[in-house]
Amino acid sequence: MKLKRLLLRYYPPGIILEYVQGGELKTKSIDLLDLSPGTDVGTLVEEIRKAEPLITASRKEQVIHLILRLQEKLGQQEDHKFYLFKVLRAHILPLTNVAFNKSGSCFITGSYDRTCKIWDTASGEELHTLEGHRNVVYAIAFNNPYGDKIATGSFDKTCKLWSAETGKCYHTFRGHTAEIVCLSFNLQSTLIATGSMDTTAKLWDIQNGEEVVMLTGHSAEIIALSFNTTGDRIITGSFDHTVAVWDVGTGRKLHILIGHRAEISSAQFNWDCSLIVTGSMDKTCMLWNAVTGIRVATLTGHDDEVLDVCFDYTGQRIATSSADGSARVYNAETKKCIAKLEGHEGEISKICFNSQGSRILTASSDKTARLWDPHTGQCIQILEGHTDEIFSCAFNYKGDIIITGSKDNTCRIWR
Amino acid sequence: MGLLSILRKLKSAPDQEVRILLLGLDNAGKTTLLKQLASEDISHITPTQGFNIKSVQSQGFKLNVWDIGGQRKIRPYWRNYFENTDVLIYVIDSADRKRFEETGQELAELLDEEKLSGVPVLIFANKQDLLTAAPASEIAEGLNLHTIRDRIWQIQSCSALTGEGVQDGMNWVCKNVNAKKK
Repeated sequence: MKLKRLLLRYYPPGIILEYVQGGELKTKSIDLLDLSPGTDVGTLVEEIRKAEPLITASRKEQVIHLILRLQEKLGQQEDHKFYLFKVLRAHILPLTNVAFNKSGSCFITGSYDRTCKIWDTASGEELHTLEGHRNVVYAIAFNNPYGDKIATGSFDKTCKLWSAETGKCYHTFRGHTAEIVCLSFNLQSTLIATGSMDTTAKLWDIQNGEEVVMLTGHSAEIIALSFNTTGDRIITGSFDHTVAVWDVGTGRKLHILIGHRAEISSAQFNWDCSLIVTGSMDKTCMLWNAVTGIRVATLTGHDDEVLDVCFDYTGQRIATSSADGSARVYNAETKKCIAKLEGHEGEISKICFNSQGSRILTASSDKTARLWDPHTGQCIQILEGHTDEIFSCAFNYKGDIIITGSKDNTCRIWR
Repeated sequence: MGLLSILRKLKSAPDQEVRILLLGLDNAGKTTLLKQLASEDISHITPTQGFNIKSVQSQGFKLNVWDIGGQRKIRPYWRNYFENTDVLIYVIDSADRKRFEETGQELAELLDEEKLSGVPVLIFANKQDLLTAAPASEIAEGLNLHTIRDRIWQIQSCSALTGEGVQDGMNWVCKNVNAKKK
């Protein structure tokens, strides 16, 4: 093994190693999820060298330099004030979901008008309209970090794979017998997973367009799914009140996470694949050991259904949003509630952190999106303008642009 | 509502839930009717650009009513909502005689849809509070409703504005929901 070069990854903080093994160029990452501006660099570098033989003495100075740059980034106080940049009115029916590519140069919107549109973030110009679905385009995704492909899942029971560059359709994946309502690429961008109201999930090969495996066992609709970072596990959340953990290679069910007393609304892995968070209509959120499938904690506090949950990029905090109109932030380590986000006048259907973990964004039926400080729970800004409820929202990777998708048929860019 | 709630209302409803599709030309009064059903304020209603969903309890049923915008350019998207429909309610502006032919055509096309085959249809002859409104019998004749043989149907005169006749129509709906629901 020979180290070729070191690369920086800001969020979550880490160093990417490019090395040659058996004549083949490979990469691996050293995750520095606990890094803070106060971390002692000398000690950290020694720890890294002990664990990673590729980091030899001659590379030490370079690693120190990279860590200092990461610390500098982490220490930056941003006080970005967002304003409404553009209202995009090209869809003629309500929007469903929205998503950025990794660089944030473009984003996509799904709609009840059966199309998915690709937009240029800087100008707000429409780049392509992906046409072909015969019903609502509900679930959409970029194959980040690459961002050269787009997947769309539709109520027409099919999933389509498109070129992000040309808008050309590569494959149509047929086989589900009901609406496709969730989908995801694995991080390696070799597979697409689709979850359907037909109670099954399927894995599809991006290259040849074939179905690789079907994940069966749920007794009700699958409405959430998530790959882990390494791509060897996938979880599915269902209206049957359970979440299943599957082996990606064989399609074998490894665990069923049983405990929630109502429909699952959302389920996600943390970055290092050690924990799974689940939200449910039973008003609680649960944390599970991803390896053993054993429940670690139940996060209570909401007075109504939990509609969305997410980890921050490093996996240290969890944010939950609820039909009770509030959101909460919990520490993943102590399981304690750190902050309550109160102020929305309607249910909060979506919640996300920015990559930096310094802001939380919520989307609500009260027609506003709001920006919060996750440490204090203070509302930083109210994004007003939509004339109907907001279904979806997203930050770009840099955290300085927001998009919102609404039932009012528009998408808005805030920056 | 949120996307997740929409999914929950989309799934095959349990025994006591009924999925009702509310269609008709623009300005027929669908949203007013929906709000009347839900006992909500009807003073500020604007053209529906997408859809509205409300759940109302009636005679032991939970009626999930989907009100879909009726403007010409979005009518081709009505079929997005056909799946799992238990009852179709078609609303007609009884005072807009100029558009009887257009509304009759749209209705005929709906009744030809495979996904709506056999689905009971209730036609509301709405806006009976207006002096110029055609009576239900005249509309039934004009639309050749008597030729419908592949499903049960009913025409009910009503005023979504005053609420008159609305409950009678909904009583018919509850009585005629497919046998499997009972």
